[in-house]
Amino acid sequence: MEYLIHLAILIGIYVILSESLNLVVGYAGLLSVTHAAFYGIGAYATAICMTSLGVNFFLSLLIGIAVSVLVSVLMGFVLSRFRDDYYALASLGFNVIAFSVFLNWNALTGGAFGIPGIERPNFLGVVFSSPLAFLLLVAICVALVHLFSKFIVDSSFGRALKGIREDEEALRVFGYETHFYKLIIFAIGAGLAALAGSLYASYITYIDPTGFTINESIFILVIIILGGLANLKGSIAGAIVLVLLPELLRFIGMPNEIAAQMRQLIYGAMLVLLMLYRPKGFLGEYRI
Amino acid sequence: MLLPQLIANSLIAGAIYTLLAVSFSMAFRVTKFFNFAHGAIAAVGGYAVFFFLQAFATNAIIGIGVGILFAGVLGFLIEKCIYLPLRKRKSSNTVLLVASLGVFTIIEALLAILFSSQFQTLPSVFGLDATVEIFGAVLSGIQIVAIVASVLVTTGLVLFLRFTKFGKEIRAVSDSEEVSKIVGINTNALIGKVFLVSALIAGFAGMCAGFDTGIEPTMGLQLLLKGIIASIIGGLGSIYGGALGGFLLGFVENFGVWQFSGEWKDAIAFAVLILFLLLRPQGITKQ
Amino acid sequence: MKLILRTKNLVKHFDGVCAIDNLSINIERGTVTSIVGPNGSGKTTLVNILCGLLRPDRGEIELSDVRFHEFRSEEMITFKVTRTFQEVRLFNQMSVLDNILVVLTERSARQSFFEKHGEFHLERAKKILGKVDLWEKRNELAGSLSYGQRKLLEIGRMLAIDAKLVLLDEPFAGLFPEMVKIIVNIVKDLKAHEVTVILIEHDMSLVRELSDHVIVMDSGKLLAEGKPDEVLKRRDVIEAYLGE
Repeated sequence: MEYLIHLAILIGIYVILSESLNLVVGYAGLLSVTHAAFYGIGAYATAICMTSLGVNFFLSLLIGIAVSVLVSVLMGFVLSRFRDDYYALASLGFNVIAFSVFLNWNALTGGAFGIPGIERPNFLGVVFSSPLAFLLLVAICVALVHLFSKFIVDSSFGRALKGIREDEEALRVFGYETHFYKLIIFAIGAGLAALAGSLYASYITYIDPTGFTINESIFILVIIILGGLANLKGSIAGAIVLVLLPELLRFIGMPNEIAAQMRQLIYGAMLVLLMLYRPKGFLGEYRI
Repeated sequence: MLLPQLIANSLIAGAIYTLLAVSFSMAFRVTKFFNFAHGAIAAVGGYAVFFFLQAFATNAIIGIGVGILFAGVLGFLIEKCIYLPLRKRKSSNTVLLVASLGVFTIIEALLAILFSSQFQTLPSVFGLDATVEIFGAVLSGIQIVAIVASVLVTTGLVLFLRFTKFGKEIRAVSDSEEVSKIVGINTNALIGKVFLVSALIAGFAGMCAGFDTGIEPTMGLQLLLKGIIASIIGGLGSIYGGALGGFLLGFVENFGVWQFSGEWKDAIAFAVLILFLLLRPQGITKQ
Repeated sequence: MKLILRTKNLVKHFDGVCAIDNLSINIERGTVTSIVGPNGSGKTTLVNILCGLLRPDRGEIELSDVRFHEFRSEEMITFKVTRTFQEVRLFNQMSVLDNILVVLTERSARQSFFEKHGEFHLERAKKILGKVDLWEKRNELAGSLSYGQRKLLEIGRMLAIDAKLVLLDEPFAGLFPEMVKIIVNIVKDLKAHEVTVILIEHDMSLVRELSDHVIVMDSGKLLAEGKPDEVLKRRDVIEAYLGE
């Protein structure tokens, strides 16, 4: 039972990550390979606030989101100059830089050792320390994120995002200040990823840089491509499948070290096969 | 650190980046997409040499040769089995890029599964780890090999592209694949050969990096990023631009490391890339 | 006579080739002006400059009595200017309805964020899609339509913007007669509602039928202008065309 709750919590965190990335990649068509950087910024900001400054989890979470949004706006100014392949490359570069910061700014991030001893959330004396209580918190966050994402994609703003994806220049001719749109959705994606990071840090109670590499960004990308770009339900389905799949490997008795590599092997292979045979993913409404 | 050694270190790093950049650029010329698996091929070169040196313990030349050839053939097969079918489906460059991200992920995981994710060193052969002192800088045999090879490969490729029929066909395809088809060039066969040569050079670079500093599964990403950055700095698709970019990056990185510290190498490299993309996206060599 | 648009000494080079060469034209409000000329005479370049997609090297543009040296394409809409594209540019992986709604709803990011399209937008979209005969196809993807339907949808999108000046870049090219007829009627209807139309067109019978004024361009220069019947008879005009 504990194990199932653990999986449900992980799925919840990845649903937040993938829905938020889908807003950026699937709706706005910005091929961002840097989502793990914001995931990490949220996790680190929360961890640092909680362990070094003794700030309450919920305030730390808001700080994490704020820091992530701020960084994303600065990145966004640079990224808005690029498109397609160059966008992917430059965003990947930001992930490399963010990872370097996590790994090397020892005084702040604890370097390769990371930050241990992060507490579970505490809300007016109610501590979400039991897995079930934490699952409840994650479920609330997932629901809020989903409703918020749905609100965006159903709005006129969401339609304009799709227009940017299809033909940004034409949309400008029709009077849209498209760079604002791109900046806003990128920042929203970053903020939501930071939320996932905060939850993760508090749940696992220990973070280190290895959770926020380019491979992690690629993994989230695989989730949304498998589930389908520009479809929020697809992201939920993708997260469920891709979080559970590697657990099967552990089930058949594969040692942990190999299982981690097998997981990577599988999602790499999925990416290739999807591009070859189903570039739209399973529920996708947008084909890159 | 003394200036001569700093210059030597820059040249060594620059040589390996150059090998990756020119091979990356050459493939980019004919396919126009960012092949993110390129660095992984280089890593395969390092590991294959590592493996075949043990398999052919009696003859190191064969071990090294087979190892590099293995990387070349792998690059060729990836083109034939994945990129070619995608191009035939008229997939966008972004789709090819995403597929190559997948290939990169697969190779990295496979190397870790087969050889463990531990850092390993290649055995010493032909005294490649012996050092000499030149103008006060200490260089090992493999480092000199890398520097010489980078110069030879760059000039060789430039001459090759300019003066052979194959080279002229490559230039035709890079101008327009459609027109090349019409004038009777078998573009797919040509792109296959380009990938073979490109992967051979990458494999060689991976071997140099392996002998010089050692091998680990994640080295592919480092090599790829440095190769792409160098080729963009130099001007994508330009061979001698790639060499220029490679050495420039080597110098910036090593002098940067001297100023800050070693851990920030990758961040410095990317900062340089982003600066270039913003201020001079076409690279140094192009108008 | 009241001018809606004038250009003065407009110049635009591409890699040393002069696409627009010292061009000064005047467009009267509420008229249909056709721009004709051989391929490569600079017609599309002119339209691209007028809608802010290209910056002129030199020269002035005056729109509704406001003088510009250049303007950003995002601002076109504030002067009620819109266009269609020679090579149809729709939002392909969006529904036909969304292609219309995207120009009907709020454009500023702050307002569009809190706006959902309502009955009012749907009513207007229905009226416009009815005019181009695409209401039945509203839920299909724009990219899946036939060439002619795609052209019509672009015309529909232009109508939805409710502009005062529209630039139509070869709207009839490659269409079947019945579709040509729909668009001809739309152009006449625009004129009846005092919308100014600039039309780039190769079919001279359509130019004669629709335009009040014809501007002939050759190698980026103004070769001739005037009433359609007079201009199209001139020998230098005919030679410019046949000389191609």
